[in-house]
Amino acid sequence: MTLLAGRRVLLVEDESLVAMLAEDMLLDLGCEVVVAMRLDKALAQARTGSFDLAVLDVNLGDTRSYPVADLLFERGTPFLFATGYGRQGLEEAYKAVPVLQKPYQAAPLKHLLTRLLMGEPPTREGTGGGPMPCGCHISREQQPFQVDHCS
Amino acid sequence: MPNSRQPLQSTAEASTPLVSLRRGAGQLFETERRLNAVLNNASVSIFLMDDRQHCIYMNRAAEQLTGWTLEEVLARDCPLHDIVHHTYPDGRPFPLHECAIDRAFPENNQERGEEVFVHRDGHFYPVGFTASPIRDDAANIIGTIIEVRDISEEKAAAERQRLLINELNHRVKNTLATVQSIAAQTFRGPPDPAARGVFDARMAALSTAHNVLVEDNWESASLRSVIERALAPHLLAEVDLNRFQLQGPDARLHPKVAVTLAMALHELMTNAAKYGALAVPDGQVILTWSLHDLDDGRQQLNLRWEECGGPPVVTPTRKGFGSRLIERQLPMEFDGSAEITYAPAGVICELQIPLTTLGWVGQESIEGRQAL
Repeated sequence: MTLLAGRRVLLVEDESLVAMLAEDMLLDLGCEVVVAMRLDKALAQARTGSFDLAVLDVNLGDTRSYPVADLLFERGTPFLFATGYGRQGLEEAYKAVPVLQKPYQAAPLKHLLTRLLMGEPPTREGTGGGPMPCGCHISREQQPFQVDHCS
Repeated sequence: MPNSRQPLQSTAEASTPLVSLRRGAGQLFETERRLNAVLNNASVSIFLMDDRQHCIYMNRAAEQLTGWTLEEVLARDCPLHDIVHHTYPDGRPFPLHECAIDRAFPENNQERGEEVFVHRDGHFYPVGFTASPIRDDAANIIGTIIEVRDISEEKAAAERQRLLINELNHRVKNTLATVQSIAAQTFRGPPDPAARGVFDARMAALSTAHNVLVEDNWESASLRSVIERALAPHLLAEVDLNRFQLQGPDARLHPKVAVTLAMALHELMTNAAKYGALAVPDGQVILTWSLHDLDDGRQQLNLRWEECGGPPVVTPTRKGFGSRLIERQLPMEFDGSAEITYAPAGVICELQIPLTTLGWVGQESIEGRQAL
């Protein structure tokens, strides 16, 4: 059992095939997954649902997932952004949010989500997830498992 | 500066006969006529400046570029900079002493660069310039000649290219992510020698969908082409009309709709070939579709796939990639609905897909610039 088992995760990802992949990865980590592929549906879920974590694809067609991020900030739900463009592609107000570099890979996804669960709730100032893309700035003693993707 | 030099004249009388110094009258007239013909037919703008940075001559191209006539510029009796270059694009005043073109004169060197000029009507336009000193017989600098080109189109082309490369990068990444997902779905579970063939066929379907998109610059895809290519047995073949009945109007599909629909049709076809109507010689697939207007101005595609003449249908015990893609992902991606019915006489699949508005981020600015 890992820390992630049984956690409810909101997955926001707008491409059918890519959403399947990310959903399977989260299911393999033992999470319960709710998928939203459109901004309005994601907002409705973020507003009414109860989640331990969220994974937000930044680009949703011609829109961005920032309004969902705002709701998650308000509710104190830890989340990360998934993007193929890295941190520099994010708007300034969201640069403190942890970033999962696409394409989705199971090990970094697990690592970041675990970090999110152990950390403080996220804020715009970044006291939660921290400014590092993978949380590897924390000390070795704090790390619960081997980090193999960014040593 | 030495007192002995002869400054260029900056009066209207002196400027019209541009090269009328030190020549015999007849020869002079002929030379002037030739030079004026050259200058006024040149497409590059040419300005002749005196030692005070006043313009004392400009050719026809320069008049068109700036919106000012030579007479008007002479009448202003001020540095040319204050007429065509007085404001930065951000609205701040642009004083003469900050001007790179102006420096060509005192610094005595050929100065090339790019600046943004202000047209008489107030709009800004980017220019490339070359400024060179003019010397008298004693090599004293008495003025400047400036060549100027409007580089709006070059700038717009560079911006178009930047936007297109960004968009291409976005699409390549999306395609790679799609391939990654198809691989993960296909090779999930225990090793299966047949999985490799299934994967190759899915790659071919994805590739074919992209071919249809390329036909229209990846802006949209013809619905009918997407259907026909997805149902063709391979790239070089036509749809077998003995096996498929196709009926419905054409429409332009957003690339995302085109790719997902093509993959959905591929999965239906693969299933039909393995278990359904296409597994027996006389089986058929009837594919009908129609378009309906929605309240929000978009259209909705209603598509029905119906198999007949195949072996009796057995409801599958577990749902695979195809049914997950069609029944779950496709409705979520497009806010539509999808249903697969395992009727005994043949599989029926009904899709309702609200069609995404065409266009992509950056496209408007690209097309706006093309209109220049």
